[in-house]
Amino acid sequence: MAKYRAWLGVILALTIAAVVVITQLPTRLGLDLRGGSQLTIQVQPTEAIPTVTEREMEAVQTVVEGRVNGLGVSEAVVQQLGNNQLLVQLPGVSDPQQAERVLGGTAQLEFRAQRAGTDQQLQIENQILQGHLGELAALQAALPPNGAITSETQARIDRLQADIANSEAAIVALFEPSTLGGDALTDAIARPTSGTLWEVVIQFNNEGGNEFAEISRAIAGTGRTIGIFLDNRLLSAPTVNVQYAETGITGGSAVISGNFTAESARDLEIQLRGGALPLPVEVVENRTVGPTLGRDSIQRSLYAGLAGLVLVLVFMAVYYRLPGILADIALIVYALLTWAAFNLLGVTLTLPGIAGFILSIGMAVDANVLIFERTREELRSDKTLYRSVESGFFRAFSSILDGNVTTLISCLALFYFGAGLVKGFALTLGIGVLISMFTALTCTRTLMFLAISLPQFRRPSLFCPGLNPVRPNPVRP
Amino acid sequence: MKLNIIQQRGLWWGISTMLVLISLVAMAISWQQFGAPLRPGLDFAGGTRLQLTRACVATDSCTVGLDVSEVRQVLAQQGLDSSSIQVLGDDQQVLSIRTRNLDVEERTTLQSALDEAIGPFDPGSTQIDSVGPVIGRQLLVSGLLALLVSFAGIVAYLSLRFKLDYALLAILALAHDVIVTAGVFAILGLGLGIEVDSLFIVSLLTIVGFSVNDTVVIYDRVRENLKLNPGSHINDVVDSAVNQTLSRSINTSLTTILPLVAIFIFGGQTLKYFALALIVGFLAGSYSSIFVASSLLALWRERTGQAYSGDPDEATPQSEPQSEPQS
Repeated sequence: MAKYRAWLGVILALTIAAVVVITQLPTRLGLDLRGGSQLTIQVQPTEAIPTVTEREMEAVQTVVEGRVNGLGVSEAVVQQLGNNQLLVQLPGVSDPQQAERVLGGTAQLEFRAQRAGTDQQLQIENQILQGHLGELAALQAALPPNGAITSETQARIDRLQADIANSEAAIVALFEPSTLGGDALTDAIARPTSGTLWEVVIQFNNEGGNEFAEISRAIAGTGRTIGIFLDNRLLSAPTVNVQYAETGITGGSAVISGNFTAESARDLEIQLRGGALPLPVEVVENRTVGPTLGRDSIQRSLYAGLAGLVLVLVFMAVYYRLPGILADIALIVYALLTWAAFNLLGVTLTLPGIAGFILSIGMAVDANVLIFERTREELRSDKTLYRSVESGFFRAFSSILDGNVTTLISCLALFYFGAGLVKGFALTLGIGVLISMFTALTCTRTLMFLAISLPQFRRPSLFCPGLNPVRPNPVRP
Repeated sequence: MKLNIIQQRGLWWGISTMLVLISLVAMAISWQQFGAPLRPGLDFAGGTRLQLTRACVATDSCTVGLDVSEVRQVLAQQGLDSSSIQVLGDDQQVLSIRTRNLDVEERTTLQSALDEAIGPFDPGSTQIDSVGPVIGRQLLVSGLLALLVSFAGIVAYLSLRFKLDYALLAILALAHDVIVTAGVFAILGLGLGIEVDSLFIVSLLTIVGFSVNDTVVIYDRVRENLKLNPGSHINDVVDSAVNQTLSRSINTSLTTILPLVAIFIFGGQTLKYFALALIVGFLAGSYSSIFVASSLLALWRERTGQAYSGDPDEATPQSEPQSEPQS
């Protein structure tokens, strides 16, 4: 019995740990439950670039991430999907129309000459902008991960975003409009110079090279800069040395050097390439759920789950008696462990995910049912209680294993091929199946053997009603 | 309760054959009407669905339910005459419109037109689903692929754990369950206009997992009984295996279907038909495991001259626990 006492300790410890995890770590709710938009953006190949490669996807992703930041949604996620799609998740977005418009446009890269006499203004505006950006980043980093934003914080975020937009507009105004855009840029490459310093080489096509020479000649040696804008946001503002005052930077290529680290040079490279990208993007899927609607469906699903669980618990206790009650305890442990596993693994709980969880409760009972039916059979064939329980577990094991493995195979297929909501369902069902095997084989088992070690529970009628203990010659059905 | 599976197998097979035939006919009719065996939902056909809930701040604006003909007028002005309109909710205050795939400008125009003519609508309860044709095809292909791969995986696993004939017959029973579930939804699609979405494929896969589980438990018992009684006829072995596992089959189906019924009744709109598909599939799965998969195995063994187990593979006993005397 010492073995089962030790197991009981393990199970108790796990249960307490699970409760701690559930109370400490937040449950991540999917967009369908908390409200928000999920957009799938497809990169369209063009005649010039018929196949979309990893390099282009990287660039497009950077552009899209920049735009998402511009929307000011906290906890936004941009992920690559397949080889030519991006998945953008915007929790709690209030204006899905705006989001779709902003994310769906083609990137606008522009090279603009700074207006005369704006040096100081540019510096000041840039400082103000950096201040706002820093404050916003700090604010968003301090947000609780579950997305529960107070209206006060939300108001501050909104104000900061308005300020940022104003600063950006003010900076744009300091530069001359130009026609030299991303379509003229053929490449951008980050490369190391001496020591730890890096620089970024940009290359234009013929026409663009001439235009760039023009712009660079105008500002060379004046201390003014060439503003490189992506979607009207200043990426970089390099100056041009006085030596180019005669001809400008000719030959169609230029080097942007400065205090670049490997990382910042690479950032600029990708942003430039993204801006240079003549690849249009299109929003091909939009799933938006209003926040109130999400709350409504989570409540309904939770009620459904609880009602289902209660019905199952009652059924087990009534039908299987003592083992049924023990199985009920195991089932509650199962539910707690599974919930804790979701929080620990950061599973995003979607509506189908909740359905998967509820379904797995029903299926978790199956292992117990198999074991108890076997135990009853052995009891009916006049075995001792201890042997009956033992062989109940032993003989049911291969059925439990086979049944669960086949369910897991379906889960794997769903997880591998499915997308979005489908993946969530497969994951929650799969985790549920694994944990249910563990609880059925350890938790129920431990409780059963501990129970039959106590004399007051050692009556076969508690395990199998209608059993006639004095039946002399039991016949197997 | 004791079932005579083998004796009445003509009846069981008759019922199953009839169900499968009705399902196939329903899918054929559906194919004629929609060009697909089931009425395809937004996920597969592509398009835009707007679900709007009227904001009921001013209570007198909500005394009457939404009027479909009014909505149709607004849609006609936007050139969206062929859209389908549904009014949902207990107070008929929820409007669901399914149109061709709208881009963001078209959608905004439509929403503001509706807002003006019928609204105002509550932005917090709005649901927008817009699926382009590419995504629709992608979802369908990936769903069917998942179905095929899990079939193959299950065959491989069962051949490994049992034998190939068990595996193939289990798959046959699975195909039965999938066809019957699809058939029920084909009929629902024809009669009540219920569409299938990607959750339907999920439910098919779950049915596959669950129903094979059911079959495996019975086959497991058949295999065990063959070991214990090497001389008996396969028909008797199958009969007693089914009866020994019968109360388990019933109880498991019951405990699994109970929560699903709860979801069907209490759950939100999204999960309602998902739960229904699972309920239909699980019932079909239990039926086919008990009545079809088992009797097919008996028939197959009889026909291939294996009515009496003489197979050395089959007779390899599993080791029993030490304390357990061989019965």
